[in-house]
Amino acid sequence: MSGQLTSVLRSLVFVLFALLLCSAIFQTSGFSAVQVLNSIAEGAFLRPNAAAQSLRWGLPLFITAVGVAISFRAGYFNIGAQGQFYIGSIAAAICAEVLTGAPAIIVIPACFIAGMAGGAFWALWPGLLRIRSGTDEVITTLMGNFLASLLLIYVTSGPLKDPSGSGQQASSRPLDSSYRISDSLGVSPVIVTTALVTGLAMWLLVNRSAFGVLAGLAGRNGQMIRWLGAKQWQLGLASFLISGALAGLAGTLEFMGPNGRISSGFLPAHGFTAILIALVANTSVIGTAVASLFFGGLASAALYLPIMVGLPASAIDIINAAIALFITAKSAFVDRLLRVGRRDHG
Amino acid sequence: MDEMIIAILRSSTPLIYVTLAGVLAQRTGIWNLGLEGLMIIGACATVLGIAITGSFLQGFLLAVGLCVAASVLLWFVIERLKANQIIAGLGLTGLGLGGTAFAVEAYMGSQVAVTVSSGAPKAGPVLGAFGVLSIFVLLMPVVVLGLWVLLKCTRFGLQLAACGEHAFAARSVGADPSRIRLIALAAGGVLCAAGGAELATGSLQLFAQNMTAGRGFMAFAAVIFGAGHPVWATFAALFFAVAGVLGIRVQLTFGDNIPHGLLQTLPYLATILGVWISGKLRGGAKAATLTEEQSHV
Repeated sequence: MSGQLTSVLRSLVFVLFALLLCSAIFQTSGFSAVQVLNSIAEGAFLRPNAAAQSLRWGLPLFITAVGVAISFRAGYFNIGAQGQFYIGSIAAAICAEVLTGAPAIIVIPACFIAGMAGGAFWALWPGLLRIRSGTDEVITTLMGNFLASLLLIYVTSGPLKDPSGSGQQASSRPLDSSYRISDSLGVSPVIVTTALVTGLAMWLLVNRSAFGVLAGLAGRNGQMIRWLGAKQWQLGLASFLISGALAGLAGTLEFMGPNGRISSGFLPAHGFTAILIALVANTSVIGTAVASLFFGGLASAALYLPIMVGLPASAIDIINAAIALFITAKSAFVDRLLRVGRRDHG
Repeated sequence: MDEMIIAILRSSTPLIYVTLAGVLAQRTGIWNLGLEGLMIIGACATVLGIAITGSFLQGFLLAVGLCVAASVLLWFVIERLKANQIIAGLGLTGLGLGGTAFAVEAYMGSQVAVTVSSGAPKAGPVLGAFGVLSIFVLLMPVVVLGLWVLLKCTRFGLQLAACGEHAFAARSVGADPSRIRLIALAAGGVLCAAGGAELATGSLQLFAQNMTAGRGFMAFAAVIFGAGHPVWATFAALFFAVAGVLGIRVQLTFGDNIPHGLLQTLPYLATILGVWISGKLRGGAKAATLTEEQSHV
């Protein structure tokens, strides 16, 4: 338990490092760092409907992040959440298009399944390449992100194009309002329930199932798994598929909920933020839930800053990036600072 | 034809400089996913530097300074704080993309592009139609060959390769892998500054938010596709640039009959194919980066 506490504290120390770096950037750009951080805190957590906004952005992030955490646990560096998110949303959009006219009770579940299948498919091929031929999954999933973005541009400016759409961003036709699972505020019973069910299922999977224990072991010591007689490739492939399916599910929620359509390059930072959340939470499911609300709050502040206080929204990107830069750091200095000599290597 | 060659040289040169930076890092065992961020810092700093001082040289020096500083920061986080290099690299990229957008808004007070009145020095009329090319384009072959010779024929080049392939062996002959990585990353910072400066001031004279548009990742793909070899990686980058230029031509000629972006997928598909083949050849060996102690997530 003290190991877990140390890792939480260590995360916090590096988040502080990151905030210091950000303050330096803000200050040299001619803004008052205190004012920027203050406005971000206000936009993220202190203004009247901050909690609802935090949930709106945090719930889809949580679903993707918990999937990323599963593949990290199993020792696979799947950084393709963004691509899996996009492919999931595309699959759901195509499904909705094909089933137009059918009752919502059929269309909505079908789109959920299609979205999860799409995301899982986009994780399947890097998973197979990794497990069958040892192809490095960092590169394949990264390249998969770019391919998915190009495919999203193609479908939104081609087959699914909204002919009445104008402006620079190509979009699909809007989803019929009877199929929408939330309004543009993005917090509805369906979305909250989906996130809760996902969280509970993943918590049980990680903490109360043979799969979770074995996958966690596989991530730390592959040899041990072979001695135990478990099939590492099955664990690996399953973790790829789960993480892909959950990213696809988040894509489906964004499509059927707050967005109501898919657009080229929508939510470009979703996958990266989800990876960040999984790392900040040290891949624990409960930690992921807490971190998701924090980063969801930051995401909502990105919309608040330019409108309400005239600060660039990119301030949030800088904070997220700086946290990413430091979050995996392991420093003897910080450990000494925390006065804990960790010897358990757990 | 001249026009076509000029277009290819202009779009490939920024990519090649950044690719070479990636090659240097790759040789020392670091996967530099911060290339995209370094490149955009180079582009932004050059343009803002010119806007403030009015001199290209001072703008470029500012870019070099910032790119080297950012590279050293990445080195510090990876080597001294033992952070995961992939996440740290992606973090640096985010810092570059966000930081430059922020700097432009801070400086201009809006999100519009920054344009300046002077760009990189040009070759001049001696080269006829090619006189419009900047000095970065002309220097590019020299830099490629120079790096190739450096890596292949010098003591430092061998130490560089040794510290990527077998850090323990490098250490045992008195080479300090950590210091070599610092030098390689800092030199890569200079190359990224050159790539960014060429992108922003080689033919255009402006900086716009997110103007690198994934070129840094494409350069990383070229490093992998070229197996970390400076000349092969350069050819890979050239190939990607040709595919991009042809894509634009095809679209101009055939309009919407050919799906947009089909050719744009080429670099990514080629890279996946490249790592798949090299993975098969190496018998499924995992990249060195993720088996070292620093890889633990």
